Amino acid sequence: MSAAGGSLPRYLVQRILLVIPMIWVVLTLVFLLLRVAPGDPVSAMFGGKLDAAAMAQRRHQLGLDQPLYTQYFHYLWDVIRLNFGQTLSDNRPVIDVIRDNGGATLTLTVGAFLFALVLGIPLGLAAGRRRDSFPDVVIRLFGVVSYAAPIFWVGLMLVLLVSPTGWPTFGIATAETQFEVPTRTHILLVDAFLSGNGSAILDVLQHHVLPCFTLGLLLSGVFIRLVRVNLLHTLDADYVEAARARGIRERYVVRRHAFRNALVPVVTVLGLQVALTLAGAILTERTFNWPGLGNQLFVYITQRDYAAIQGLVTFFGVVVVVASLLVDIVNALIDPRIRY
Amino acid sequence: MRTRALLAVSSAAVLAAALAGCGSGSGSSGGGGAGNGQSITLGTTDPVTAVDPAGSYDFGSWNIQYNIFQRLMQVAPGQSTPEPDAAKSCDYTDSKTVKCVLRPGLKFSNGDPLTSEDVKYSFERNIGINNPNGSAVLLGSVTDSSNADHPKLASGAIETPDKNTVIFHLNEPDQTFIEVLTTATTSIVDHKVYPAGKLLPDAQAIGSGPFTLAQYKAGQQAVFEANAKYQGPDAPKVSKVFVQYFNDPAPLKSAISTNQIDIAWRTLSPTDLKDLEGSSQVSVIRGKGSEFRYWVWQTTTPAGKQLAVRQAVAQLIDRDAIAKNAYDGTVTPSYSIVPSFFNQSNDAFKTRYGAPSVAKAKAILQKAGVKTPVTLKLGYTPSHYGPNAVDEANELSDELNKSGLFKAATASAEWTQYQTLYKQGAYDLFMLGWYPDYLDADDYLTPFLYKGGFYANGYDNPQADKLLSQERATTDQGQRDKIIGQLQDITARDVPMIPSWTGQNVAVAGKNITGVDTTLDPSYIFRFWVLNKK
Repeated sequence: MSAAGGSLPRYLVQRILLVIPMIWVVLTLVFLLLRVAPGDPVSAMFGGKLDAAAMAQRRHQLGLDQPLYTQYFHYLWDVIRLNFGQTLSDNRPVIDVIRDNGGATLTLTVGAFLFALVLGIPLGLAAGRRRDSFPDVVIRLFGVVSYAAPIFWVGLMLVLLVSPTGWPTFGIATAETQFEVPTRTHILLVDAFLSGNGSAILDVLQHHVLPCFTLGLLLSGVFIRLVRVNLLHTLDADYVEAARARGIRERYVVRRHAFRNALVPVVTVLGLQVALTLAGAILTERTFNWPGLGNQLFVYITQRDYAAIQGLVTFFGVVVVVASLLVDIVNALIDPRIRY
Repeated sequence: MRTRALLAVSSAAVLAAALAGCGSGSGSSGGGGAGNGQSITLGTTDPVTAVDPAGSYDFGSWNIQYNIFQRLMQVAPGQSTPEPDAAKSCDYTDSKTVKCVLRPGLKFSNGDPLTSEDVKYSFERNIGINNPNGSAVLLGSVTDSSNADHPKLASGAIETPDKNTVIFHLNEPDQTFIEVLTTATTSIVDHKVYPAGKLLPDAQAIGSGPFTLAQYKAGQQAVFEANAKYQGPDAPKVSKVFVQYFNDPAPLKSAISTNQIDIAWRTLSPTDLKDLEGSSQVSVIRGKGSEFRYWVWQTTTPAGKQLAVRQAVAQLIDRDAIAKNAYDGTVTPSYSIVPSFFNQSNDAFKTRYGAPSVAKAKAILQKAGVKTPVTLKLGYTPSHYGPNAVDEANELSDELNKSGLFKAATASAEWTQYQTLYKQGAYDLFMLGWYPDYLDADDYLTPFLYKGGFYANGYDNPQADKLLSQERATTDQGQRDKIIGQLQDITARDVPMIPSWTGQNVAVAGKNITGVDTTLDPSYIFRFWVLNKK
């Protein structure tokens, strides 16, 4: 076998270099799609208020009346210098939007992944062990429904369910908590821990439960099916038969042999789920008024804020690419069968 | 490995529980010792463009500015005429000159004195920055727009003979200028803090108003603390107001119905409001509003260019039915381009057309030799004006179709596309909405009628343009009222647009909150200083 150490670094360098053209394609597509869609930031803001001359004057100020290729090259040149510009609708540096709102999306997605893993893996395992039994059918159905059910519907139903209990149903924390916790990392949960304010920590954690569970439910459907299928496949493997033949109890066969190997493809899929999670985060954040990047992106799209949309989509693209890259690295490290 | 994982999880849980017993951390609030120690949380869906008065022209931004800045004049709760704020008086000395005298001893929240220099500076930088999102357009009376790309304060437009006197020399007679002085665009900023050529970052805002901006997190929340250095008639009652920003009415409704917030203001749908009226936890409080909904004729289309067609539709429209069926009775039918809360309003459409009548509409069309049914396309936008816009469009369409005189169909497009389509003549008649910048009848006339209006529907009436210039210029209020009446009559006669309804200013508040009803008026200024908590 060829050494993984010799080919892996080369592979990684190639993957990293590929990020550049991938991002350029994403940027170009977003740029063009935005310009093709009707409207612009000025009409979104002032269409019902100002006459055509006033709107034209504002478009001119923003450079929106320049030829498309001029706007495109100006933007590319700024991106190369790592200047993502200023949002048009609320005068914020795009970098500040990412900094101020990225933390909320991060904790939401991490929390959702945790929920998904805690829910999905045991259920997938249980279903795989009891193939074609009643519990297997129920779990598989649950997996399909949780994946297929629209996130915003699930979220709204949960809100209706828990509202009478007084459990928080919107936002990342109460207004007082957000005011009292000093900003250090721009990740409110982390800042709450750093502040040592126990009630603030509990408040933020409490606010995370519903949104993370909602988004996690979507992901858990994927994990349930994936773990189940891979477990079934692994349970049919020769080495598992050999373990059974040696008299090892079924419980240990599943846990120590089959299950660990069944998890390897799950790691691969985890990277792919990053994109799904970010997409799901947008709807989740809208439903729960969560102050994350997904929510902001939605707002900027309705306002046709080109600079903001381009910046945020680029950021999302980089995140997905980097996550995929990390998954590939982890895969190569844990699975000696993978070669490049 | 599993044991280690379990240990890690349980350790985290123990840590969280242990931290629950810890004391509270350090706060990030500044000073401010006024108010009664209470705090109130308000939720709204209005986004904020900028806290700097030079960078915004929207409700969300202006409502922050109304509470942290002073202006020379203000609109008191429930009133429509300007009253002194930072100035103790502002009066016309002639049709082109306004003299304001500041209250002595005013200070910004950082201790800097507020003088006439700050007033002039505020106007000058607003005009000079000319931010694309800003409202410097309202300062046209003191602007030199000879270079459209670089407008500036007109030479000699603002005189400051001493630190307490400001004299405005207007480009042309403008009887609405004192009204303009009540708008957030004329908020007075500290010339030592606010840069001349660019906007100040939101979180650094400094004003002299009843509240200071203690914290601002864009898109999330703004925190206001009572300003201990405030001098004026509007001393706050509560010490702190939290404003939380919602991206959608659904979580806003959920938040107020479960008392997670104290007040919800803008914008819940009529359906949501009706639902909340049955709640024992909250009260739905309604005040007079100035939101205006109207239908505009595209007078370049085959149907729109015919006066008889326009008049026939004006004859048929049943505003009561629209208010009841489309809005659950939460709006007030409007019979004039100038809403009824202005004393110059004359219900011109009601006077001319009376109650909806198929017979009269038929007679109008027959007299003009118009063949029926007339095909009409009614345009609306499904989300920008709220979810009930489609109901209104369908209601009007049904009314017209039931008369047998029209064959009306509705068509919609999302907001940004809609604006292009209606200007291109995609619709014969299309729906628009309006909020005034200030409470003067002119703000419902000039934007709609002057040289065809901002929507450029092809209506061109030199007589109306002349009357508009006259009403803005005349210092004789009686003469002005008369001209405003004539303009309403012309609109009812020519029907370039059809008024539909005026909205209410509605908020939902917890039962222990007081003062909300006081501030719900046509100005749409949400005055935090009148709020209190029992």
